[in-house]
Amino acid sequence: MDDRILEASLYTIKAVAILDNDGERIISRYYDDTFATVKEQREFEKNLFQKTSRQNAEIIMLDGLTVVYRSNVDLYFYVMGSQYENELILVSVLNAFFDAVSTMLRKNVEKRFLMDHLDVVLLAIDELVDGGVILEADSNNIVQRVAVKTDADVPLTEQTVAQVLQSAKEQLKWSLLK
Amino acid sequence: MLKKEKKDEEGGKSSNPFQNLDKSTVLQESRVFNETPINTRKCIHILCKVIYLINQGVQFGTTEATETFFAMTKLFQSKDITLRRMCYLAIKELANIAEDVIIVTSSLTKDMTGKEDMFRASAIRALCKITDSQMLTGIERYMKQAIVDRNASVSSASLVSSLHLLKPNFDVVKRWVNEAQEAVSNDNVMVQYHGLGLLYHVKQNDKLAVSKLITKLSRQTLKSPYAYCLLVRIAAKYIDEDPESTENAALYDFLESCLRQKSELVIYEAARALVNLKNIKTKDLQPAVSVLQLFLSSPRPTLRFAAVRTLNKVAILQPQSVMTCNLDLENLITDVNRSIATLAITTLLKTGSENSVDR
Repeated sequence: MDDRILEASLYTIKAVAILDNDGERIISRYYDDTFATVKEQREFEKNLFQKTSRQNAEIIMLDGLTVVYRSNVDLYFYVMGSQYENELILVSVLNAFFDAVSTMLRKNVEKRFLMDHLDVVLLAIDELVDGGVILEADSNNIVQRVAVKTDADVPLTEQTVAQVLQSAKEQLKWSLLK
Repeated sequence: MLKKEKKDEEGGKSSNPFQNLDKSTVLQESRVFNETPINTRKCIHILCKVIYLINQGVQFGTTEATETFFAMTKLFQSKDITLRRMCYLAIKELANIAEDVIIVTSSLTKDMTGKEDMFRASAIRALCKITDSQMLTGIERYMKQAIVDRNASVSSASLVSSLHLLKPNFDVVKRWVNEAQEAVSNDNVMVQYHGLGLLYHVKQNDKLAVSKLITKLSRQTLKSPYAYCLLVRIAAKYIDEDPESTENAALYDFLESCLRQKSELVIYEAARALVNLKNIKTKDLQPAVSVLQLFLSSPRPTLRFAAVRTLNKVAILQPQSVMTCNLDLENLITDVNRSIATLAITTLLKTGSENSVDR
């Protein structure tokens, strides 16, 4: 088979991952056997983190994969595909992924908050990609389908003063840290 | 000292409630599943922990996994949406480790055909994950119905699941092509994409059927950019496999027309397909190269990367076609993304003349 042309297939995504700012895995899903063992996956993630954490370049080629990524505060979001994959498709998936998580976490895309709502994030990834096939690439649809009521969903008027102050403080803190 | 330690522990806990999770503790905790009434929040949290552990690469033994799995089936009594969805997720995670997972078949079939739209799509996906070829004929009827369901997420879920089932159950799934065909004319962008995908995966080896598929769809307007990308790939492969075919002129026109689409996804896919065709003539390369040249000055790094990478390939075989882009490429030498800069330099080395090196 000529390697310049990618086989027409629905199997597009090789992996998605969220790493923290030490390069440790928070969640990663691998959809084929590019990396056969967890050990290989972790090694790849370490390597990937090293290459991507310092420069915000959005796209990188690594170990025969095309990887697109985005970072926010202390989190790194990755979407990976074959090196012959249409890069723009991968980016559209990454954006849907990031935007969906961001909406569901009420813009608090940071590790502590994400860990508190890990169930929601797991469900979002499940709605995003199914076994390597892009299932939904519209962040609004993903949020709608996950339809999880988090604490953050309580309308502002119904929150206690303490809650409002707390969230205001958080937002200020992170905007200063950025 | 003691106080400080305690504080540290609390601090660590709030930053990551999943740190230092122990498998046996979590398994112990999962006994809560058997309690009535069901404590929804607690159960969701424990399921989350189980999935997290598996995701971190912790190995579960068959017995442990099976026990957890069976305890989890009790949770189907609850009507809570999130809890149910977490169950589906856990079923999929444990399906390959636990034994006798088919025990949930009837629960899932019930959810799949039930009234609650929030359950149906993900129930289908979980069900297809635990289904073997013997059971597949039992749910075939439901699958066919689900593919043509009015709810887009149900339709997409069943199409994608059918695709996963295709390899081991080709003879069963190929009977669903009429339904898949109907999905291709669906208004939903993802359903259309998944429908076309399944259709192609079924017909892949039947050259005549593929040719008919391309001819028919290339005359229609599709709504989904993803479907277009797929169709472009199918068409390009078809041209490459049979360069002498009489239909190629029409297919070539189709590829070129995709260069004028609205979506960048499709434009790039078409440009890429054209420049990679084996028997492309130099003059026919020009429209694709011009499109890629426009992408070179995009503010978005991915677009620049995609364009320069593709042009780099063209430059290997046909350096003179890329020469028109030299000025834009020179601007990329100092790009913040090192991969883009490197690709720009290597491309210029193939196309540039002495005076451009001087600059």
